Amino acid sequence: MTPADDDVLFAGAARQAALIRERRVSPVELVTAYLERIDIFDVRLRAFITVCRESALAEAVRAEAEATKGAWRGPLHGIPFAVKDQVDTAGVLTTSGSALLRANIPSADSTVVAKLKAAGAILLGKLNLTEFALGGTIRFPYGQPRNPWNPDHDPGGSSSGSGIAAAAALCSVTLGEDTGGSVRSPASYCGAVGLRPTWGRVSRHGCFPAAWSMDQIGPLTRTVEDAALLLGVIAGYDPKDPLTSRSTVPGYCAALANGAKGMRIGVITELVDGSDTHPEVRGTIRDAARGLASLGAAMEDISLPLVPLSGAVFMALCDSEAAGYHMRWLSERAEEYDQGTRRRLVTAGLIPAAAVHRAARARALIRSQVLDALAEFDLLLAPTSPHPAPAIASHTAPLTSKEQAGARFFGRRSYTTPASLAGVPAISVPCGFTAGNLPIGLQLIGRPMGESSVLAAAHAWESAAGLSIRRPAIAVA
Amino acid sequence: MADLGPEDVGRVAASLSLPLTGDDAVEIAHRLNAFLDALAALDALPLEQVEPWPTRPEGIS
Repeated sequence: MTPADDDVLFAGAARQAALIRERRVSPVELVTAYLERIDIFDVRLRAFITVCRESALAEAVRAEAEATKGAWRGPLHGIPFAVKDQVDTAGVLTTSGSALLRANIPSADSTVVAKLKAAGAILLGKLNLTEFALGGTIRFPYGQPRNPWNPDHDPGGSSSGSGIAAAAALCSVTLGEDTGGSVRSPASYCGAVGLRPTWGRVSRHGCFPAAWSMDQIGPLTRTVEDAALLLGVIAGYDPKDPLTSRSTVPGYCAALANGAKGMRIGVITELVDGSDTHPEVRGTIRDAARGLASLGAAMEDISLPLVPLSGAVFMALCDSEAAGYHMRWLSERAEEYDQGTRRRLVTAGLIPAAAVHRAARARALIRSQVLDALAEFDLLLAPTSPHPAPAIASHTAPLTSKEQAGARFFGRRSYTTPASLAGVPAISVPCGFTAGNLPIGLQLIGRPMGESSVLAAAHAWESAAGLSIRRPAIAVA
Repeated sequence: MADLGPEDVGRVAASLSLPLTGDDAVEIAHRLNAFLDALAALDALPLEQVEPWPTRPEGIS
């Protein structure tokens, strides 16, 4: 196998794991090929903060030796993965994308990383992100992450490197963390699959917090099948995270065969037809809804009038939580923050407490509206983002008015935060491209613990649309 | 409600020991005014009738 064997490198981890078991691909070949792709492409894309070159190769040699003996660790034996640098990895630099943590080397793995390793996966590296997973970073201390479909455009955030690495095939699979859309947004912008599980489905132990009440780790992959595979490995109760659910983890991969037939899917009109939604996005999402109907789903428009308030409500709650966490560092080490992060946190520190509490009450109303809709429908459908990936320069320019601030920070977030505020699962799956060759993401939102239905419908759509064969033509720096 | 200006932001931030440098106060004023406008819109909702709710979504044990 050589790096030119793109069919293997762009294949999903499920396929790669089968090839390893059939002894047609070796873990050493796979790790070596991805390291070569990182050397070639990541100079420009800046998906990785740390590449675990030597340890990954050593693990691959060990995995290969075990394979020779027929000793399989688990479903991800020999699969190279990378994880957002917000998530602890024993003995490996973990920065949360901030200069403040430039020397932080955890002594233990986070629960999700420990579970992936126990399943046989090999840590290839740590992935870039907006500082402290908050979004709005102006200058990235570890390099400006770039969209593999057009390097002048934003890859989305906060799990920027996870989206890039999945879409550009710099590793087999990745993990991100989604507070208000941080897995789904990069999935949408980069043309990958991103799943936010139900809040409490996956342990956050060892993950630097953005907002406890909404943080959730999830897979960012090239295929829905891989998202199901990874979720099956990382989900479940963890005594180190008392907010994880004790509910049984179902067989997510087996559920993929259920498809979308017979499902009732509500199309959120405020997000599909709203004035913020780009015409190409609207058209593509409506086409996807028709595609799901052709697969046997019953599609129906539904109005959720509180949803457009979600972005502002989310930011008031998330940023206040984050500001509370960062207050001491803000006072003592302000100059080490990126300017965008610092301004975001200081702003949140100045919002009146009564206004935050009213936002918490508004959250309850939005949540009820989403859950009531999900009592009627199996899934809700919306664009992941109102527009394709914007140019990087467009959202780093100084703000000159409150209207500009509101449009930049609240509007887009109203598309992903309804699921975050309600604590329910949601997936972004590629559903088309703009005329300018930028990906568009379809979002499917499910009932609490309804990941199986979310994944089944997304898998049916992905299989019918056949978009996973399209690959970015990445320019070499 | 009148918009806050950079001077207002500077005074409150100083009282809370929150750091400001360069043009921070100007941009933070825009951000804060955007928040206050957006959150004021919530007053139209029946917020006083919201019942207490659990952290976890229904159906999770």
